[in-house]
Amino acid sequence: MALSFACALGHAPGIVAWREAAPAEQCERLYQAFGQLRTRLEAARLEALVLFTAEHWANFFLDHISPYCIGRAHEFAGPIEPWLKIDKATVKGAPDLAEAILTACHERDIEPGFSYEMHLDHGTMIPLHFLTPAMNLPIVPIVINTLAPPLPTPRRCFLLGHAVGEVVRSDARRIGVIATGGMSHDPGERNHGIIDEAFDRQFLDAMEHADTERLKNYTVAQLRAAGAGAVELLNWIALGGALQGARGEVLAYEPVVPWATGIGAMGFNVVSAS
Amino acid sequence: MSIYALQKAIRDVNRDPAKRAAFFESPAAVTAHYALSEAERDALQRRDYATLYAMGVHGLLLRPFSILHSVSEADYLRAIRGRG
Repeated sequence: MALSFACALGHAPGIVAWREAAPAEQCERLYQAFGQLRTRLEAARLEALVLFTAEHWANFFLDHISPYCIGRAHEFAGPIEPWLKIDKATVKGAPDLAEAILTACHERDIEPGFSYEMHLDHGTMIPLHFLTPAMNLPIVPIVINTLAPPLPTPRRCFLLGHAVGEVVRSDARRIGVIATGGMSHDPGERNHGIIDEAFDRQFLDAMEHADTERLKNYTVAQLRAAGAGAVELLNWIALGGALQGARGEVLAYEPVVPWATGIGAMGFNVVSAS
Repeated sequence: MSIYALQKAIRDVNRDPAKRAAFFESPAAVTAHYALSEAERDALQRRDYATLYAMGVHGLLLRPFSILHSVSEADYLRAIRGRG
């Protein structure tokens, strides 16, 4: 089995770009959790990383939207935001792994979109910045449509994740799978600044206990009620599908008011689960 | 109703430096290139955030557009929350 690492973490721009705006102790707890995840990732000696991630009108627009898009490029550049305070970098892709994932999805009656050119925004670059600061691990980004309704259902994202998990487990390489984004936040919308901490903690509880029924039975509307950005938890639900019952541990959760978002960081015990 | 063209115009201004510069110079000249209704064209040219939001422009297009025009977060939120 080659699922060697799994984690989930937020990707709010404030984590890097407006670090000083947040209360120091919240920031410190989050940075500590990200550091723990990086230590675990390094110990896992990964050869590739699959990301369930979101983008924010960086690549895709309403002229063509896929429910999921798998990045098949040989390399990816980012971040596109000049203000993010992350150095521009080029990250290698893993096109053969991307192809294996696409093939496996089709065999399971799921047909994701795919792209040979994707630009990375904060949604992917912030997690990479903390987990692989040398930007030296080949990646397969899988972007789930969290922008333009109708969004894929949690149940469907879970199935997508399950297919990805199967591929990763049958691959000879040591592969990590991560989810980025969330939790409760409403960027650019009326409830910007409001963080539904109770919702976030319930969701974390479901992830922690690998409560797959609860994860699959969320509705997009329930996620959306915690803010337009909370639908990025579809990425976490897809990860839940890939984990196939592996339990997790919340390393940090902080509702950070100056960044207008709840931020979670979880590690998953993928090795003992198989 | 051409919410697609309206969002496309905003996205182009957000992302394309030449389009952005042109919009700053003459909003009317830029909006003329998009198939907008009169109300949409008017709201976009006046940067009427309340109306643009009510028309259905996505927050992650509209807020970056407002930032280009140095609109504070408080002013932006006041505008989009203003209508039911």
